[in-house]
Parts: sequence; C-alpha cells; structure tokens
Amino acid sequence: MNEESLEFSETKLKTFITQLKRSFVIAKKDLHIYYNKPPVLIQGILFPIILFIALTIGRDVQPIYVISGLMTMIIFLTSTSIGPIVFPWETARKTFERLITCPISVKTILLGSVWSTFIYGITFSSIPLIIGMIFLSTELSINLVIVISGMIIAGLAFACFSLILSVPSTDTPGNTMIFTVLIKFPLVFMSPLFMPIILSPIAYISPLTYFLDIVNIGLGDTSAFGTFGLLFDIGILLAFGFGFLFLAFVLHEKTLERRFQG
Amino acid sequence: MSAIVVNDLAKHFKPPKRAKRGKMGPNGPKGPRNAMGIIRAVDNISFEVKKGEIFGFLGPNGAGKTTTIRMMTGVLKPTNGEIKIFGLNAWKNQIAVKQVTGNVPEMANVYLDMSGLQNLMFIGEIYGVSKQERIKRAETMLKKFNLYEKGDLKAKKYSKGMKQRLLLCMALMTNPQILFLDEPTSGLDVQSANIIKQLIKEFNKEGMTIFLTTHDMEVANELCDRIAIINHGKIISLDTPENIKKLTQDYQAIDLHLVNRVKKEEIKNLRNIREVQENEEGFHIIVENIHDSICEIVDYIKARNVKIKHLSTHKPKLEEAFLKIIERGGKNE
Repeated sequence: MNEESLEFSETKLKTFITQLKRSFVIAKKDLHIYYNKPPVLIQGILFPIILFIALTIGRDVQPIYVISGLMTMIIFLTSTSIGPIVFPWETARKTFERLITCPISVKTILLGSVWSTFIYGITFSSIPLIIGMIFLSTELSINLVIVISGMIIAGLAFACFSLILSVPSTDTPGNTMIFTVLIKFPLVFMSPLFMPIILSPIAYISPLTYFLDIVNIGLGDTSAFGTFGLLFDIGILLAFGFGFLFLAFVLHEKTLERRFQG
Repeated sequence: MSAIVVNDLAKHFKPPKRAKRGKMGPNGPKGPRNAMGIIRAVDNISFEVKKGEIFGFLGPNGAGKTTTIRMMTGVLKPTNGEIKIFGLNAWKNQIAVKQVTGNVPEMANVYLDMSGLQNLMFIGEIYGVSKQERIKRAETMLKKFNLYEKGDLKAKKYSKGMKQRLLLCMALMTNPQILFLDEPTSGLDVQSANIIKQLIKEFNKEGMTIFLTTHDMEVANELCDRIAIINHGKIISLDTPENIKKLTQDYQAIDLHLVNRVKKEEIKNLRNIREVQENEEGFHIIVENIHDSICEIVDYIKARNVKIKHLSTHKPKLEEAFLKIIERGGKNE
C-alpha cells in the first residue's frame, strides 16, 4: 500500500469513527425524547402485556416457554417501537431538517435510531429474564452467555428491522403505526411462542423463531435446532440484521427528498 | 475570495402522486412545469457570495428560495449544476461543508422536550465540540440572545421568538464561517426581530458570511450588502439594495388622504397613474411623472370639491421596487 492510499484509508477510518460517535449522540437524544411517547409505550409495553395475556391464559404453558416467549415478544416489540416513529415525528415537529443539516449522514441518523431502540429493547426484555432467574432458578438451568448473546444479536437485528418500517415518507406517526402493526403482528404469530418449537414452514420466515430457539437453548431446553444449531440461529439472525440495515440505508436515501416536498 | 459559488444550479421535482389527484398541500413544490409535468423549482441559476458579505435572497412564495438554500445546506441534491463552498463541492463533501456552516431553516423547530441548554449541548456534541467548550459557548450564546434565565426551561414553554433565537444560538454554537438563514425574522415580535437583526450585523462584523432569504424588504434593506431577486426559479436581478431601488427611479409614490370619500377607480383612471392601493387612511399611488400626476390629482379634487387632509410624495420603497421587478419579469437585468 503506498503512502497516498494509506492516508486515504486513515481519513476514511477517521470519518467512520467520527460518524459512529455522532450516532451515539443521536441515540442519546432519541432515548431522551421518545422513550415516553404514546406510540412507543403502546407498542413497546402495552402490546407485549396484552399479547402475553391473550396467548397464555387458559393454556398449560411450561415456565421455560413463558420466559422465552415473553422475552422474544418483548425484545421484538420494544426493539421495533422507537425506530419507526423517529422520522415521521421529527418531520412533523420540524426538527428533521435542522438535524439533516448537521455534519452527519442519513446513515448516522439511522444508526443512532438502531442504538436507541436496541437499548430500549434490551432493557425491557431483561425483566422476564431477571424474574425467571429469581423465581425459577431451580426449574431452569440458565446459560447466561447464550441468552445474553442472543439478546444482543436479536436486539440489533430487530432494531435494524424497525428502520425499514420508517421508510414511508409520512409526517404522521399514526400512519407508520398502522403499517408497523400490519407487518409486526403476523411475524409474532408466525413464531411458535409459549410452546416447544415446532417448525412449520411459515415459522422459518420469522426472525423471532431463531431468537426463541436461542433463548430456549439458553434456558436448558432441547430445542428445534438443538445445541449444535445455536450457530445456525445466530447466523440467520445476523443475516437478517445486516440485510435489514442495508435495505434501510438504500430505501431511506431514496425517500429522503420526499420528506421535504410537502 | 468567494465563500459560495453557485454555477448553473437547477432542481427539478417530479410531481407527487397526490398532486396528480389534486391533493397536494400548500407546502408542495412550486414552479414552472414542462410538458411532462416536471416542476422546475430552481432553473439554472448562477451567482457568487463574497466572503464576509450579507447576501439576501428575495422572492415571492414558491419562487425557489427555500429549494436553493436546501441544496446549499445538503438537504436536497441538485438536478444540475454545482455549489462550491470555500472551493468544495457542497454535495460531494457534505460532512466537511456542513462542519463549517450553520443553518436556520425556515420551518425548523427546536427539540421541544429538551431545555434550551440541552438543545445547545446536543448540537455542540453533534459537531464534535468538547464538553468544556460546549458549556462555555452555550452559556455565552444564551446570554447574548437573552435566553440565559430560561436556559433550563423545556423549549415547549418558549414563545415563537424565543424558539427562533434558540435556533439561531444552535446555528452559532459551532462558530460557523457561513450562516444560512431562511426567513429568520418571519412572524416574530418586534423585540425578537430586533435582537436577531442586531446580532446578524454583529456576527457579520466579526467576519461571518451570511446568506439569508426574507420576505421582509426592510430587513433586506437594513442588513444586506447585495440582493438577488428570484422568481419562477430564475434570478431576475442581482445588485445592491440601493441600485435595485434605482431601477424604479422612474416611479414615485404619493400618499393621499382625503376628507371625503372617493372611488379608487376614479383616481386610477387619471393620466400618469400607474397603480393605486387603498389603505385605511386613503390612497398610496404609484406614478410615473410626479409633477403631472400631482396637477392631475389636484384638478380632479377641485372638480369634485373634495378636501385634502394629507398629500406627500416619496421615493419607492425597496418593496415597491421588488414588486416592479417581479412584474416586469426581470427585464431590468
């Protein structure tokens, strides 16, 4: 590598690090502003509770599947709650144009949204895990490394998925909410929540299935892909995550101008 | 040295789908359309802004002012042409260009759920200003813009003028070399507008280049070194405020207040009268030949046995010159 190209790579690396740092600043702002907004509370907290009640009451569900099902539902619904409202909310409140004229790229704003929504998802999905560890420690043989790794990978993958939901160039968060509910709920129902994993062809489509499998394994269950399929689950979730992120970058760049055309 | 060079810049929009259905909102893209329905919001304009000058961009609604400023600030990609800021292509070097510029968009807002101070700290952090420096600059800005006492208050409790001042503070937090202001005093109370005008002058004296769009001719007259007038996406005049006013030196205005009421049309039908505007007190009349016009008006008034309460003549205001230039479609250029 000659001196000139080395210098070019160094500049690129410096820009990447600067933009990464700035994405954390965006995340801090997003968490500060959006954590208590009604659409986030409805989708991130109210929906998991309602669905949990609807899917478990009157059924004889084993404790392990209660914990894994609840964790899967919470991490998915909370990790996808902030992302879709940031763009329409900022467009409606007229803060988006100010933000876009800062020395950051659209990718940086999107990454910021990923971090904030990821932190939100991880925080809330930890609650059933902590409850399980306290009250069901004798019944479950919990492998925390597996469960936490799964949470981190799935949290990021689902956060990237949430970016796709914010692509429509609307300035009304309610419009995005309708679209997100239409996409998110079928994915929840496709996964075999609160039961042993039975792999129907449709379950393969939902990324939730692979996280559910990781948590079941982490809680000591002999699950669908078994202990040796753990890497398969992680691989699929990573593929989903990178795929969603790439698609979000492309689609948001394409729809950005429409947000400023009234 | 030029701070900004705009060369053959154009922005075309495809009509939004809802526009085809007749549902486009008031903020939709405006401008002349070609046979395919493409809207030419900005139509191949070129100009330069010198380092350290206050450059005004004037035009009626939908003329292309905001689209131009949005291309300069990296929000919209030009369809054609280029913008160079300190020699750098503004679109290709967005991050570097944005780092040295500040911006107050027309329809922007501050983060209402954050306090004034938090808004400033956020912007400072995004621009990579160190924490110590951020605190120092935020304090200075809040004091300068009379917001220090309310700095810890959530911005949702601020008045419109305070929010606009905070937006300006945010733009200035990073000591920009160029400041873009889109209608900075629009709809503000007199106190806020005066503070902003005063500070624009002050920052300009310190060497900052300022590019501003405004509808307020008084603001343009008071602040700008040079003014470009844009209409239907094209620049139709670019000169100093004084020279723009000279373009309409053939025209003069008469303010006429009468004791008795007369019809506007009757005055309009007199010779040498170009235009008559009726206001609460009487008439504002634009004339071509001041001597003949006054004689004509006096004869008419004598004939009608009407009494004069007030009659005065004055040179056209910048606003009148602006309207005349727009009317003529830039034939003065």
